[in-house]
Amino acid sequence: MKEFELEKGEHTVKSVRKHWFVFVLELLPYAILAALPLALPRAIELAPVPLLTIDFSSPLARTLLSVWWLGVWTGAFAAFTRYFLNLWVLTNMRVVDIHQKSFFHRDVSSLVLSRVQDITVETKGLMYSLLDIGTINVQSAGAIERFTIRGIPHPAMLRDIILKYVPNPDAAGL
Amino acid sequence: MPLTAVRNPLDALADLGLTLPAGGLLTAVLIAVFAVWLIYTLVISYHWLRYSHSSLITSPAIFVHLVVSVAIMSYALTGSPVPTFIAP
Repeated sequence: MKEFELEKGEHTVKSVRKHWFVFVLELLPYAILAALPLALPRAIELAPVPLLTIDFSSPLARTLLSVWWLGVWTGAFAAFTRYFLNLWVLTNMRVVDIHQKSFFHRDVSSLVLSRVQDITVETKGLMYSLLDIGTINVQSAGAIERFTIRGIPHPAMLRDIILKYVPNPDAAGL
Repeated sequence: MPLTAVRNPLDALADLGLTLPAGGLLTAVLIAVFAVWLIYTLVISYHWLRYSHSSLITSPAIFVHLVVSVAIMSYALTGSPVPTFIAP
């Protein structure tokens, strides 16, 4: 791990990314944007008054279409990069949130498990319930009071794993 | 000593069978877009190589990005997603 060093006696228990369904939802706008120019000529044909004709075999239309697609593709690939580089790492001592906010803007924050006071799991919506996707809120007594992990697979299972590594959960009221 | 002409870098495209569409503005737009894409590709590749924790998916991800981008650029220049230097 380059973002954080494991301490003596610390080991990684689990690494978690957002659920693939959440990623697919993030890609949906890009798919619509990519298909939009192809639907445009048909939509124009449906107009009662002939407006203009779009011929993608002409160099100008082809170039504009390609520039549009290149923009959409780079956006979609950036979304995939964010999805892949955003990561939560659970060790036997802490939870580490690695968040790629934008290019050259990366936040790495840790929450020590001994300071955990409360863990709640939230699952909202039909698809999220069916696919077991949810949010985990970890309440802490530390400087970072609340740690939220959104859109992860099997949140209840992750909560149980975190609880397993919280020292003295009874004393913390868990 | 006689001066020798410097080769136009865009002539490399012609060697690959790619020609920029006629029209000064269109050519300028394409060059600008490709330059931005190149910077974007360098930046995103840096992030993948630096922060993906040596994941097995790093090289395939960058490869897919390059293949799709080149296909789109080839379509812009030739009308075919397969560049002429690949097509038989």
